[in-house]
Amino acid sequence: MKVAYYKGCLASLSAKELDTSTQALSPLLGLELDELESVTCCGAGDIHEAEPDYYLHLNARILAYGAATGAETLMTICNVCTLNLRQANFQLLNDPELRARVNENLATVGVPPYESDIDVKHLLWLIVEDDGAKRLREVAHKGLKGLKIAPFYGCQILRPSKLLGFEDPDRPWSLEAIIEACGGEAIDYPAKIKCCGFPIIQAREEVAMGELIQPIEQASEAGADAIVTPCPLCHLSLDAWQSKLRDATGHDFKMPILHLSQLVGVAAGLEESELAFKRHVVPVDPVLEKLEI
Amino acid sequence: MHVALKIWRYDPESGERELRDYELEAPEWACLLDVLDLIKDQQDGSLAYRKSCRMMICGSCGMRMDGRAVLACKERMKPIVDRGHVPVISAMGNMPIVKDLVVDMDPFWSKIRRMKPWLEPGYDEVLEQERIVSQQEMNVIQKESLCIMCGCCVSECNSMESDPEFFGPAALAKGFRFVGDVRDQASVERLEDYNDEHGIWDCTRCYFCNERCPKGVDPRDAIAKLGAESIKEGIDRDMGAKHAKWFVKSAETTGWLRETELVPKTQGIVSAVKQTKFAIGLAKKGKVPPPIPPHVAADVGEARALHQLVREQGRAGALGIVQGERALARIEHTDAGGARRDAPEVTPGEEPPKAEG
Amino acid sequence: MEAKHDVLIVGAGCAGMRAAIEAFDAGADVALLSKIHPVRSHSGAAEGGINAALGNASEDDPEKHAFDTVKGSDYLGDQDAIEVLCNEAPDDVYQLEHWGAVFSRTEDGRIAQRPFGAAGEPRTAYAADITGHVLVHVLYEQVMKRDIPTYEEYFAWQLVVDDDRCQGVIAWDLLNGGLKTIGAKTVILATGGAGRLYVGTTNAYACTGDGMTMALRTGVPLKDMEMMQFHPTTLAPTGILITEGTRGEGAYLLNSEGERFLKRYAPNAMELASRDVISRAEQTEIDEGRGADGNVLLDMRHLGAEKIIERLHGTRELAMTYAGVDPIHEPIPVRPGAHYHMGGVDTDLDGRTDLEGLYAAGECACVSVHGANRLGGNALMETITYGKRAGRHAADWALTHTTIEVPPSLEADAERELRRLLDRTDGERPWSIRDQLAETMHENFGVFRREDQMREQGEIVAGLRERYERVVVEDKGDVFNNDLTQALELGFLLELAESMVVCGLARKESRGAHARPYDYPDRDDENYLKHTLVRWREGPVLDWKPVKMTKWKPMERTY
Repeated sequence: MKVAYYKGCLASLSAKELDTSTQALSPLLGLELDELESVTCCGAGDIHEAEPDYYLHLNARILAYGAATGAETLMTICNVCTLNLRQANFQLLNDPELRARVNENLATVGVPPYESDIDVKHLLWLIVEDDGAKRLREVAHKGLKGLKIAPFYGCQILRPSKLLGFEDPDRPWSLEAIIEACGGEAIDYPAKIKCCGFPIIQAREEVAMGELIQPIEQASEAGADAIVTPCPLCHLSLDAWQSKLRDATGHDFKMPILHLSQLVGVAAGLEESELAFKRHVVPVDPVLEKLEI
Repeated sequence: MHVALKIWRYDPESGERELRDYELEAPEWACLLDVLDLIKDQQDGSLAYRKSCRMMICGSCGMRMDGRAVLACKERMKPIVDRGHVPVISAMGNMPIVKDLVVDMDPFWSKIRRMKPWLEPGYDEVLEQERIVSQQEMNVIQKESLCIMCGCCVSECNSMESDPEFFGPAALAKGFRFVGDVRDQASVERLEDYNDEHGIWDCTRCYFCNERCPKGVDPRDAIAKLGAESIKEGIDRDMGAKHAKWFVKSAETTGWLRETELVPKTQGIVSAVKQTKFAIGLAKKGKVPPPIPPHVAADVGEARALHQLVREQGRAGALGIVQGERALARIEHTDAGGARRDAPEVTPGEEPPKAEG
Repeated sequence: MEAKHDVLIVGAGCAGMRAAIEAFDAGADVALLSKIHPVRSHSGAAEGGINAALGNASEDDPEKHAFDTVKGSDYLGDQDAIEVLCNEAPDDVYQLEHWGAVFSRTEDGRIAQRPFGAAGEPRTAYAADITGHVLVHVLYEQVMKRDIPTYEEYFAWQLVVDDDRCQGVIAWDLLNGGLKTIGAKTVILATGGAGRLYVGTTNAYACTGDGMTMALRTGVPLKDMEMMQFHPTTLAPTGILITEGTRGEGAYLLNSEGERFLKRYAPNAMELASRDVISRAEQTEIDEGRGADGNVLLDMRHLGAEKIIERLHGTRELAMTYAGVDPIHEPIPVRPGAHYHMGGVDTDLDGRTDLEGLYAAGECACVSVHGANRLGGNALMETITYGKRAGRHAADWALTHTTIEVPPSLEADAERELRRLLDRTDGERPWSIRDQLAETMHENFGVFRREDQMREQGEIVAGLRERYERVVVEDKGDVFNNDLTQALELGFLLELAESMVVCGLARKESRGAHARPYDYPDRDDENYLKHTLVRWREGPVLDWKPVKMTKWKPMERTY
């Protein structure tokens, strides 16, 4: 299936490992990626808060270029991009007057108008939809050898559910299904759908740490070998900022954090050059040892 | 139908907390509130909870079902019974428990009052007739006016859990009800006030409030509107505001986020320097991409031009969010919110409520 | 005594809060006392709107408003009180807007007004279909602005009467437990109605007639108690309200044959006839077999999705949650439900009762503005205008009078009585008495009334009152004991029910909401153009009071 691929900011830069693993994994999943070039940051919650009209136009531009590829689906690999694009999409698809105004502005600056509709889906949904977990078992032939993986959904792949709507926001199952299909054991814990604190990790570090400690601590206590997350921003909090938790609590959790594409990728036998685990701040070695890699 | 549920009881006089089982027969049309009434009437008169209108307008009956805040009068029991699920009922979070399912709402109300939640018309004289205001202008605060002060949003607020002094979604939504009201002349003073350390920029954007609100107020969006209005008014000294503005700058210059410069732009050079050791740890792994050469997206000139163009069109500030609300109102505001509920049960852990006082 | 004030207002809904604001602005030391937080008050459930001759939707004036109200009351309303209401209404509504009430607007930015039942002009000012909610919140904002002290979750139980004056209230502190006495130079009762007397009611659980019975127990008379309005569009089985605003926007009422049956009962006004007329029409259709499962159908489909989402969003939410239908696609099954008590504590134009220092305003009062039937939109207006008047008069009186005396014996008696109730371990739980009361009132004292059924109801209530003497409160604790307060509420309801039945039997005619089609089908102005008055002396004692007429002579009432 051909999809328009919007990788977002982090996968372009600090979380390059997310992009390399996604690009390597996608053909195995039957996804042909048409990477969008003439796009910008989706704005995260920040442009939505600072200049919401600009946020709408930036996302409309991404949707327009996505639709222009002829694909029916725009694939995202980040929770925040997913919410932002879907919210903008809802507004445009359900308000012809608004869409007309935005399209006029796009045309003025030389962007093709957003005319044929495109649907925005996260890689997570593309993997599991239509009984995808079954198909995944074949792809994930190397398997996870019973590795205990704690799924961390984060916020914006689940809420607000009226904009995302893929699964029950309080009883999500997609990551668990993927973990199981890849031969791992899914760990349950209450904070898996709570916030990692990333949006305020710079402006309100202490508050964010109060949030971040929860998934790390709970997953650790539940005996998880690693945490998997579909969002590179959550990944940054959980991985790159994990050392700050050590400073705050005196406890070094050493909890490896995997991107979704890496989890499936390692189960599917991708190479280190594609998975790029060495780019993680918290070493992934314990996981690789358990997997005998 | 036969209903089974568990309720977290709390006896303030003995300090005992206990999860108890209940079973009863209830009519098929019963909501959680009706079930509680039957238990209180016929099984245990000491069960304490608030109620009044039973039609989702008074805001009395906020409580948690399976760890998430709901209005007891809104939750139909039949779908739960049909699924064979035994829900766990507990008091709302982030507020001290008085008894059983009754919480102390004083902290909630004091934050509301902190917002100075009354119109400041800027004059004293009595006008002869109503002020002329268009329906469009009133629509700007239509959603925030729906708030029934039930506390469901506050119960689930992740920021407030970590920072109990955070004003919170209900208070900030009430704040926007005035900032966005064209008749209020104190907007700038309000915004200055709401830009407090525990104000607007304390919100972690977890969207739990939007998700839980039984009336569709969307408090997170109200907070975003306050942020937008603050920046429009030039009130941007908070790190959160600086952080947000850097995203705008990045989009119109390089397209992609200028990540490395984000820390000093948000926190200031001094603070950034203090974090050097942390930064070096990140840099070793390539998490601190060098700002030079800049990573520029293709055709970024379009993004630049768009910014210029939309700025001239006068939908700055909260209007940029309000303009999308007509479309969002068309989404069915049903129980499932479009989410699929046919998936296998994964029950969240049963957390005992935090009882204080 | 826990504290003393110049003015103490029991009940913090629209009438209570408006009175408090007025009394505060008049310089009095005022406090609100409410068994629930002010914004939980049932005024917030009002939906359709508030009536005032603003003239924004058509040429209108207070005199037309007054005539519609007089006719609507089936000529039992006191015309001087009605004129005061209609004359003061426009300024009172503008005041609400100045305080920030979020009204819906016309094309030219004025307060929007919609047509409503039995109104000759569209004069019901509205805020989508959540007008009550909007008013409760704007009033509470003004209460917060003035920092008016509020005894929140204090259950008022008895009035303190000493030296032929009302001197305060004895209340149960729900949060902490214990009886507390609050002294006051004046007390304003603003406790709302008593819909909980009936099994199908639009009213909240809190609407148990507390103030009316408290007044009754001190010897103050209640007026027109037999007049309970049944709202035509309520959901089965609970009675949840579906606003008249739906009909104001053009909805139809259909029977099971798909017929707009009102053309046989009110051919001119059709769905916007007076509420009592429509409720009777519906009940007749249902009784004669043209109902759909005991309901008629409220059809809004032809209004279109846009209009419903914009103006009747709350209604749609209610229909989807409680009736399982989306009114954009399906009609809503509705039936009459107990809604509003036209009767209440007898007051004058300033809210004064015949007990010095005691006032009443809003639904619990009977001035009488509504007579035998209330127009939709007039209740909210009454709370504001008469709340304001009572607040002002009480403040002025309190500021010119001194001393408050609460004899300790009164407090001791109250303690003893409460102990007796709390200590009882052997007896009956309140719920079966409560449910039987509600079911039998619905059966025997509903939309249509008959002599034999009313007599029977009198006996049933007497029997329930006897059983109530042995009612048991299971929760013996202090903190948040609403098992106790709910038992006390049942006591209030039982005395009201007994009073209502006595008045119903005495009025041998059909007028407004009191319909006796089998024995007295016509209105009898010669003998019954007067109010019933009931006082309590170990039981209800009946009396009469003439109706005040200024401009309008009773005419035949058709819609």
